[in-house]
Amino acid sequence: MAEQPGYTFREELSLNPIRPGTAVLVAGPRHDGSRELVLTMTADGTDEGMIVVTTNAGARRVVEDCERLGAQFDPEHAGIVDCVGEEPPDPFPARVLTVSSPRDLTGIGIRYSQLHGDLHAEGIDRVRSGVVSVSTLLSLGDLQQVSRFVHTLAGRITAVDGIDIFHIDPTIHDERTVNTLAQFCDGRIDVRDRGEGTELRARGLPDQSREWRSVDLPF
Amino acid sequence: MRGGDVLVVDPDDDDRRETTELLDDAGLDVQSASTIEEGLAHLDEVAVLVTAYGFPDGTGLELVRAARERTPDVACIVFAAETLAEMDTDHAEGEVVDYLSKETSGVEELLVDLVTHSVEERTQTAYPHPEDERERLAAVERYESVAETAGAALDRLAQLACATLDVSMASVGVVDEREQRILGCHGVAIDAVDREQSVCTYAILDDEVTVVEDLRDDPRFADNGLLDRSGLRFYASANLTTPDGFVVGTFCVYDGEPRSFSAADRDHLRSLAAEAMDQLELRRRLREGGDTDG
Repeated sequence: MAEQPGYTFREELSLNPIRPGTAVLVAGPRHDGSRELVLTMTADGTDEGMIVVTTNAGARRVVEDCERLGAQFDPEHAGIVDCVGEEPPDPFPARVLTVSSPRDLTGIGIRYSQLHGDLHAEGIDRVRSGVVSVSTLLSLGDLQQVSRFVHTLAGRITAVDGIDIFHIDPTIHDERTVNTLAQFCDGRIDVRDRGEGTELRARGLPDQSREWRSVDLPF
Repeated sequence: MRGGDVLVVDPDDDDRRETTELLDDAGLDVQSASTIEEGLAHLDEVAVLVTAYGFPDGTGLELVRAARERTPDVACIVFAAETLAEMDTDHAEGEVVDYLSKETSGVEELLVDLVTHSVEERTQTAYPHPEDERERLAAVERYESVAETAGAALDRLAQLACATLDVSMASVGVVDEREQRILGCHGVAIDAVDREQSVCTYAILDDEVTVVEDLRDDPRFADNGLLDRSGLRFYASANLTTPDGFVVGTFCVYDGEPRSFSAADRDHLRSLAAEAMDQLELRRRLREGGDTDG
């Protein structure tokens, strides 16, 4: 079977294509641009599906932020699991399924799977998923439950050759927690801002630079 | 050892038969049941549970919760005809599942892909696996036949560890697909621990000696009911590593009080683990009647 091409990203991110079936942990404080990086990586596809699990911001805010980052939404290709519980306006450029609370990992997982199944039924086999943020899930649940959740989502996306991008803020968790969750992923991207703009580096991902470099995005 | 790959539980006879045949045609070893009670009776033998949602005697999510209490590692896929609105997830107490709607076009291919991947990769565990997990489990199997004969020798090493390291408990065990099995011990009386509950599950991911000075302070174990009930606070282990580099288990020491562990202590534990591994390796070679060099 011919290998599928990697998932590509805009030039400004300085990221080489990521192989299908890869789960990535993006680690960085929210105010350093890490959330925007996850949204950008998730929304950067052309003719690909995207699913965003949003734990703190409603679907409307996610769409606004992605559009500000230059992403185009359409309900045929985009789905959002909104854990804030806000009903979006009609019409809305993404299919939105709501959960009453980020604590409901069962509901989040089922709705994520529903959106993915819908994309598959429409013939969209390449899907990017972003979870913003695992930190919120950890603040409401225990590490074991959240670990199973991350493992299950990562497992689903690797089974179908998608990519999964999980956000975590390492500054608010014990290092052992972050390292445990990193082990469910194939690699990690660290994000920082030391006053001269957002920088990132990759670890554990093939063909990606391990050195810190600047990214040039309207974060 | 696992007896099968998949258990399909569905009260609808036609759906159950079609799902079973679909997965069987994909080369999987499939069992089936029509009720929650019957499903629970088969659960110990499978890697993946594919369950309908609505049952006369409950819901598929209740089955998942009961399944995870018995077999924490089982991967669960809800394969439902109901809409999202018809499923109650608010009372599922955070049970993580994968989900497919029976009404989705082309869902059969997706189900086969997900189940096959879950069987091969065990994708719903609450703990990470070593990267070489398949090879590692094959290595564990090679020592199964000699584990019992080494018991007395490993008990003695565990007793030596307690005296040398000034701890109250020690054990030598292997970590297999679903549990940690104790081969020799001193000061404890356990045979096996679910892998999800075992500290060694995380220790085998680390090449160095693992030390947890206070289990209650470690977020990986702070909510572990088994450790809490056991009163354990301190843990240290060194890996049992085969000559070809696979970590098959651990040599552990524990105590009921938090404590530190010096560099000299780590060296001692490392040596004890190497000695325990030598016991297993020599017995394996003798059993196989092969090369006795080295």
